[in-house]
This record gives sequence, structure tokens and C-alpha cells, in this order.
Amino acid sequence: MTTGGPWLATAARLLVGGVFLVAGAVKLPDPAAAVRAVRAYRLLPEALVHLAAFGLPVVEIAVGLALVVGLAVRTAALASAVLLAGYIAAIASAWARGLQIDCGCFGGGGQVAAGRTAYPGEIARDVALLLVALALARWPASRLSLGRALAAPDEREFSHAR
Amino acid sequence: MPGKGPDKREAARQRIAAQRAAEAAARAKAQRRRRTVLGGVGAAVVVVIALVVVFVVQSSRTSTSASAAVPANTTDGGYAFGVGSADAEVTLDMYEDFQCPNCENLESTSGAAIQQLVAAGTVKVRYHGMAFLNTSKNDQYSTRSLNAAAVVASTAGADAYAQFHQLLFAHQPPEGGSGLSDDQLIAYANQAGATGATVARDIRDLTYGDWTERATDQASKDGVTGTPTVLVDGKPLPNATTATPAQITAAVQAAAAG
Repeated sequence: MTTGGPWLATAARLLVGGVFLVAGAVKLPDPAAAVRAVRAYRLLPEALVHLAAFGLPVVEIAVGLALVVGLAVRTAALASAVLLAGYIAAIASAWARGLQIDCGCFGGGGQVAAGRTAYPGEIARDVALLLVALALARWPASRLSLGRALAAPDEREFSHAR
Repeated sequence: MPGKGPDKREAARQRIAAQRAAEAAARAKAQRRRRTVLGGVGAAVVVVIALVVVFVVQSSRTSTSASAAVPANTTDGGYAFGVGSADAEVTLDMYEDFQCPNCENLESTSGAAIQQLVAAGTVKVRYHGMAFLNTSKNDQYSTRSLNAAAVVASTAGADAYAQFHQLLFAHQPPEGGSGLSDDQLIAYANQAGATGATVARDIRDLTYGDWTERATDQASKDGVTGTPTVLVDGKPLPNATTATPAQITAAVQAAAAG
């Protein structure tokens, strides 16, 4: 982990951050679809559906931005892991209850043609991202990071040596 | 042999230097901590502001005018159009988007069989339109077509809606295509029995545009997550997309018996 580690962490940041950034951004243009996608899970009471539908994309974009530029990497990686764990639980619960929905992970209103659900693939993708996010939370030191660039020079050296 | 004096002074200098270095390190650490806390608070404030702004913007984008026009001749809470005898034993709720290819498939395979069941007085159908397949390329065809269907029903009744419904699926534009034009929608509306200047105007002006948004939201509240969804006396018909006339008839008979 002396030379390759920080670059691996950079790749992990860009992967997880990029996915969250895109996932959040594509949900903004069609808020009505976002509401339907959240409602399709039948997990939240109607009073909270709009809050989740309009708020989650903002949180996703915030986490994604932090990871991509490299600010507060450990916090952002933990936040993304929490989000992913929640998504995995929600998708698994929809699957277990026999709902016919699309996860709405990248926009859309949660509609899916009958028999076209993709729960295993959606869960596998989120589990893979969760593992990367957890590894990043454990080893957050990375190259090309804004947080590192802003830090004092002595600290920078120290972190690199670490 | 060196004297004791310079040695002592050297040691004292080193002690002082070490102390100063430790103080400087502590100051730097405190400063870093302050910066981290300030940065964290700043970031949290920015995220909260973004959340509030986005929530307000998205709420206003999804809100519909309370005074928006609603079509006449609706049933079931104002978002469906019913055809068939009121005494029919079984109710079919059909949730469809006029741009949805699977809905077209259902209509072309089983539409005639459903009409026979309606004609026989066994079944009454409630058509629930949805509008969620809008694109800029099809010029918001889902909304335009459902608005046109509401205009037809409002002007000429639910039976005209059923006929218009049949016409639109028979002439469904390809998904990813440009949708039917307003002129075409008006022509089919006339063919279905809705005529007059107000029909053309209401189709062009999207008179029931807000209502189509509310209808789509209501379908989602009804638990519909895909089209076509067919409820037979409230119970979802499995694999509605590929249901054969025989399967639909069987499901209706089972519901009538139960």
C-alpha cells in the first residue's frame, strides 16, 4: 500500500462518487417520476414520500461531489456506505414482498414491465459499491484530492508517508 | 576538555527550541481542528440550503393548480372513465399510457375479448390513463394523448373514450418516435364522436394537462408500478402484458364465481 494504495483510493473515489453524482443528477429533471419511484417501494408513509424523492438526490449529489473532488473523503465514504446499505435493504424488501418495480436508482418512476424486474443485478451492483465505499472509509488517503491540496504542506508530507 | 557552562546553555537552548516547536505544533493542530470544524459546519449549511431550495423548487414543479379543469363523465374519484353496465358482476381497472407498447400489445390481443365481456354485461371497465412516457422527441405525447382522451370523454361520454382508446392504440406511434400530432389527435377524437370547436381547442391547449399529472400520481398511489396493469375486481392480473383473451376471460369468470 505504499505507492499503489493512494491511486487505488483515487479510483475508488471517482467510481463511487461518479455513480452517486450521476444517480442524483438524473433524478432532478423529473420530480414527479422520483415521487412515483419512492412510492413504488411502499415503505414510506405518503407524508415522507416527497421528502425522500426530492431530498435523496441532493444528498447523493453532495456525497458524490465530495468524493469526486476529494473533500472529507472518509465522512463521504461512510455516508455513501450508509445510503447504499439502505438501498440494498429497500430493494431486497421489494423483492421479498413480490413487488414488480424498477429500483429507480438512475431516475425513472419505478415502473417496470411485468416480469422484467432486475433485483439480483441491482443488489449485486449496490453491494459491490458498498464494499468499495467501506474500503475507502478504511483507507481514505488518496492522490488528486482537494482536501489534501488544501492541507498544510507538513501535513501533506506526513499523510503521504503514512 | 570543554567547560560546563556552554554545555548547559546548549541544553537549555535545545529545551526552549523543543518547547517552542511543541507549542507551534499544538497551535497548528488547533488551527487544523478549527478549520475542519468550520469546513464541516460550512458544508452542512450548504447541503441544508441546497435541500431546502431543491425541495421548494421540486414541490412547485410537481404541484398542480387547484382550480385546474377536470373532465366530466369520470368515475372512481375523478381519474377513470367507466364503460359497461353498472350491474356488471366484475370490474376491470385498466391502467395504461397511450405511448406504452405493452399496452398496445394487450389491446391488440385482448381488446376485442374485453369488449365482448362488456357487451355481454359481465364486465365493466374503468380506464385509468397515465402519462409518464413523455419525451421531448415525442413532444410530450403521453400528456397530449391522455388530455385528448379526457377531452373526448368530457365531450362525448365514456363510450367515446373507449372508442378513442381503441383508435389511439391502433395507430400508436413508435416509442422513440415523434408521437401523433395534435391534428391527428383531433381527427381521431372526431372519429370517436367528439366534435366541435371546443374539442380542437381543448386538445391543442392541454386543457386537462394538470389533471393528467394528477391522474398519473393517483395511479401511483393506487400501487401501479407498470403499464399495463389490469385489476380484476381489485386483484392484479398476472402478466397483464402477455395475457391472452382466454386468460382474461378465465380471470373474469373466477372473479364472478368468487
